[in-house]
Amino acid sequence: MENIGHGGKEIVERVLPKDAAIKRVAELKAAKVKELDVRLQMATEVIDIAYGFFSPLEGFMTKADVDSVCNNMLLADGKTVWSIPIVFDISEEDLKKSDIKQYDEVLLTYTGNPFAVFDITDIYTLDKKEVAMKVYGTTEDKHPGVKRTYQYQDKFLGGKITLLNPPKINEPFTRFWLTPKQMRERFKEKGWEMIINHQTRNVPHTGHEWLMKGAYLGAYGSMMVDKPRGGVLVNAIIGSKRPGDYIDEAIILCQEAQGKNGYFREDIFLTTCSLWDMRYAGPREAVFHACLRTNLGCTHHMFGRDHAGVGSYYDPYDAHRIFNKLPEGSIGLKPIFNLDWWFCPVCDEVTYMGLCGHKDKKASFSGTLIRSIIQDGVKPPRRIFRPEVFDMIMECAEKYGFGNAFVTEDYLKRRNPVFTIEPLK
Amino acid sequence: MAEETYPINLWINEERLEKLQAAGLAGMCKEVLAGLKVLAVPNTAEQRDKVLKLFPMAKFDTATTKSIELLPKAVKDKIFDLIVSKKSLDVMADFIKSQEK
Repeated sequence: MENIGHGGKEIVERVLPKDAAIKRVAELKAAKVKELDVRLQMATEVIDIAYGFFSPLEGFMTKADVDSVCNNMLLADGKTVWSIPIVFDISEEDLKKSDIKQYDEVLLTYTGNPFAVFDITDIYTLDKKEVAMKVYGTTEDKHPGVKRTYQYQDKFLGGKITLLNPPKINEPFTRFWLTPKQMRERFKEKGWEMIINHQTRNVPHTGHEWLMKGAYLGAYGSMMVDKPRGGVLVNAIIGSKRPGDYIDEAIILCQEAQGKNGYFREDIFLTTCSLWDMRYAGPREAVFHACLRTNLGCTHHMFGRDHAGVGSYYDPYDAHRIFNKLPEGSIGLKPIFNLDWWFCPVCDEVTYMGLCGHKDKKASFSGTLIRSIIQDGVKPPRRIFRPEVFDMIMECAEKYGFGNAFVTEDYLKRRNPVFTIEPLK
Repeated sequence: MAEETYPINLWINEERLEKLQAAGLAGMCKEVLAGLKVLAVPNTAEQRDKVLKLFPMAKFDTATTKSIELLPKAVKDKIFDLIVSKKSLDVMADFIKSQEK
């Protein structure tokens, strides 16, 4: 068995070859099976399930899985760690109208085109408030993950997914989106035995750069140096955006710019993306990221300060501590915990909380501060922000952001979608 | 206790620095982050509230920078131009008045 993913299971792609898919759609249409057109979040998660990003999940969760994930952070098998419910919602009205029943086969469409087959094995309801409390630790709808939970419709469908029509990933994301199997192939080509994942939804400043370099040095220390045997994988999360976030195009192209401009050797650096709507679940999202990146074939994963957190819902290092609570061997990669990186005017360099003795003089890289500088169009010193990365942000603002490097309502309305599902023929 | 202010941070590049030097205000800049200069334009609490009302996309960042952030560049450019023409940092009352018209 090759390509072992999270939970010790082989990554299996649930994707029909094109000819078989065309035939299958014809059969489903002839049998007049029920059809459901899905929204972007569901389409994204269908793709993630089908290619094994969410392995060992083979479909949307049943009630037993959701209950077990909420209560025990395990799938219903009682042994596989999983931290975030992956659910398919439907309104009571649509459920009645479509007359979907347990054990039905449903043809999912996206933007009107055939997309996937959904084998319904469970139809259920959830106490959304209880789910919010258990997953996010709060019931406040100011929390974006809680808000998303409350916005789900009142009924849920569980069951396996088979993709019929692969997504067309649009520019500039095409070269960055690799399935778990493709990712593992790429690592083999590069000769990497050690892959350190950097999770991001930011354009990189030198604090991020040093975070990656620090992790690389730490993890690489025990390896032979006769040839490059490992590298840093930037896996950017591309998904739903909020006004004020960096635009997706700037995130991915600016990350790539670090390698293209030599801040990392290109043979030890790879920029990719995964499709996922951040839940901002802090520690639980950190565990989810570990599962996802295990499926990508990573051996290490960086977790920084306030990983995947939002506001003040979590302690800055909750996302580190949660790994101590997991059963030994339940996560297939090694977490690398980072404290703060900052600029020290005495050391006159970017340095690390664990090393620098001038804490009282530190200048922190707060995201808001960096954003404030970029918004003014002022190029920061290269020790803070690489000039090539800054130039790329400005280029992306013009080319993709309608003049802005940050998400605006205009961008949300007019942007080119990350992927499309085209007619199946 | 000094009166609390709610600044707008104007980041200073060479072009802006030359204008500030000509206005005799270059000394008002503070160096942060590897020599990058910032000019903090003070606001009272009342002015802060008015700015946030006039520009709803902006916010007061209580967590990290303790300043009014996310103002569009064009707005910050106007404030900067006013500072240079008045040769003073005390411009927010005039700026707000001009925007309320």
